[in-house]
Amino acid sequence: MSPAARGGPLQGVRVIELTKVWAGPYTGKLLAFLGAEVIRVESRESLDVTRTYGVADIDKAPGFQAVNPQKLSVQIDMKTKEGVGLILALLGKSDVVIENLRPGAVKRLGLGYDTVKSAKPDIVYVSMGMYGSEGPLSYQTGYAPCFAALGGLSALVGYEGEAPGGMNVRYGDSTYGTAAAYATMVALLHRRRTGVGQYIDVSAVESMTSMIGDTVMDYTLNGTVQRCEGNRHPEMAPHGVYPCREQQWISIAVASDPAWSALAEVMARPELAQHPDFRTLAARKAREPELDRLLAAWTASQDAQDLAGRLQARGIAAAKSQSSVDLVADPQLWARQFYRTVSDRDGDTRTVVGPGWSMTGEASIADAAPRLGEHNAYVLGQLLGLSAAERQGFADAGVTR
Amino acid sequence: MSALSGTRVLELAEDVGGEYCGKLLADFGAEVVKLEKPGTGSPTRQRAPFAPNGGPGENSGLFAYLNTNKRSCALDLALPAAQAALFQLVEHVDVVIEDHPSGWLAGIGLDPRSFQTRWPHLVLCSITAFGQSPPDDRRHAEDLNVFHASGWGYHTPSQADERRPPLKGPGRFLPSYEAALDAALCVVAALYERDVTGHGRFIDVSKQQVLASRIDYVLGQMVSGDMDVSPQRSAFDLFGPASIFPCRDGYCYIWMSAPAHWDALGKLLGHPQWMRAFPERWLERECTPERVAQVRHHIGDWLRTQDKHEAAQRAQELGLTLVAVNNARDLEASPQYRHRGFFVPLTHPAQGPGRYPTVPYKLSVTPAALHTPAPRLGEPVSGLSGAQGLGS
Repeated sequence: MSPAARGGPLQGVRVIELTKVWAGPYTGKLLAFLGAEVIRVESRESLDVTRTYGVADIDKAPGFQAVNPQKLSVQIDMKTKEGVGLILALLGKSDVVIENLRPGAVKRLGLGYDTVKSAKPDIVYVSMGMYGSEGPLSYQTGYAPCFAALGGLSALVGYEGEAPGGMNVRYGDSTYGTAAAYATMVALLHRRRTGVGQYIDVSAVESMTSMIGDTVMDYTLNGTVQRCEGNRHPEMAPHGVYPCREQQWISIAVASDPAWSALAEVMARPELAQHPDFRTLAARKAREPELDRLLAAWTASQDAQDLAGRLQARGIAAAKSQSSVDLVADPQLWARQFYRTVSDRDGDTRTVVGPGWSMTGEASIADAAPRLGEHNAYVLGQLLGLSAAERQGFADAGVTR
Repeated sequence: MSALSGTRVLELAEDVGGEYCGKLLADFGAEVVKLEKPGTGSPTRQRAPFAPNGGPGENSGLFAYLNTNKRSCALDLALPAAQAALFQLVEHVDVVIEDHPSGWLAGIGLDPRSFQTRWPHLVLCSITAFGQSPPDDRRHAEDLNVFHASGWGYHTPSQADERRPPLKGPGRFLPSYEAALDAALCVVAALYERDVTGHGRFIDVSKQQVLASRIDYVLGQMVSGDMDVSPQRSAFDLFGPASIFPCRDGYCYIWMSAPAHWDALGKLLGHPQWMRAFPERWLERECTPERVAQVRHHIGDWLRTQDKHEAAQRAQELGLTLVAVNNARDLEASPQYRHRGFFVPLTHPAQGPGRYPTVPYKLSVTPAALHTPAPRLGEPVSGLSGAQGLGS
């Protein structure tokens, strides 16, 4: 489907990506899911490594395809003067540019905000860096788990009284990419209303901290430095993850005394509901290790999904801890069309992960990730108006392909 | 004037997801009015952390953080007479945000399937655990349950000991904060379109789906058949020596995946004998569990004698991605956070002066700003179009 006809709230918005790996591409993907036309500027000389992981064919890399559906690709060597000229011309016909290259790289290339702003005064220019683009530590670099460590998250994830283990190593890029997408969207709205573009400087590390704002408030209010607490929660008990049969696990969270009564009944231990050791939240918190042992002994022989259903029927918050097998089979995710089928230029289809929302009148999500330079003719010919001879000239000089 | 000045938002939220979404909009100048139950107010007023000052209903640091720049209006939506007042308010706003269990909206007269016939201009956004039509076995969920339904729980921590339970995420509310980001993104996108078309939308954000979408790089490969799915707790993991290590004053995290990282480690440690036994480019080509264990052992020995911020600085200057595992104290003291003004002073009328974490993006023309502390319970609302007299 032509990007211009996908519908969605951002139909007609054009976004240029000078991005690599995951966070920047995720920002572009969210905007594409909302209907924007998102064009990746790529080249063999400066290839996104996710196009090469695990495969010989850079057009078939599964990780790249997972994060870049719905986008276009134009092949321009941004390390040449002519290439930079073409990119500036393209930005002149665009609304947003997103970059997450190494600190300072866009300036060295001649694609810094000041230069781009001269070519396109109302551009929304989004710069993404681990620590943001300026400041005493902005020279430092890292990958997603570094963001989570620096932002204060890793220190909070671990078993009580032990060294932190941190979130799963994959956490960070996509959250950071979403924060950038939201800021971009706000700037786009301002631009529509006033005609004024702007520069946005996004910090990955601060994006992480914004996921624990209340924990940080505990420090600024009380001087309390929170540490790993296993699965404990100050306002709920039980609140944990308990073993089930066949190495399954179930999460159970009891937020009120009536919910505790209901749980005691499902456990066939109704006497626990009124027992002074467990009747109130304060009592349960005081005996939490014992409470957790009681629950674990009871859950251990049960099927997690079945048990979650029986607890839910009594109004108790419970869910199976889902493995990757459970996730790809999750009937609710399929029913909500979270998993979508997209097609590539040859008509081959694959399944991709959709957005976290549904909305009325949403954009069509139908196109697979682009081959390298798949949309050269559209971008260089139609958008930039280059003649066939001019395009051949750039290709011969190695600026494009 | 900020980017969302003039945008009117009615917040029917009583939990972290909806309140944080409202905050994200209010930070950019949206006029956000939250409805609170007379007497008790939002349930988040009763939740930790608590400030030393303020007293019951006014001392919650959680409420203070989530509700900056907003105003509050008392209205009990459970009363039959409230509906007329609610509808009058809806007439005057651009956006309604809510985060109650699915089905609640229809109960107050804002049915997602039909509200557009009466209010075609309205952007209505709901944040729920599993979307507006959950199956019967997913009607009750706290953030812990959503985190575990999404796949993140089962796969946290990395390098798990399979005999021990998988863990919750950091803090209490990560799924709510994540979902609020998507909700705010969609709301502003809908406003962007509405400026031209005049039409609103219904936006149905599922926390489970938001979290599952955050692992698209991995889950997308799994659902397309390019990566194995399994009951392995390590199914999301990456392999290599990357890990958290204890140091003299806390913990550090080291990432190592490329020859440049290995070379930098050599410089940092003074090219010790044990490193010479490793083949060139072993990280990419010959990354065996034995080598990983050996590297971790030696790095561990060294880091135990180091301080985290100094070690990180030296490593980064050499090109090794070593960082401190920061806690809240480190964040408040961070020279980078100070440079960017991440913490902002704000005086709460009951709690007194405080320092608030802000947002991770700096916009050159329309920066987010904290100008007003969270509203007090029962504070008179003035100048609010369409809401006069609702507090009585």
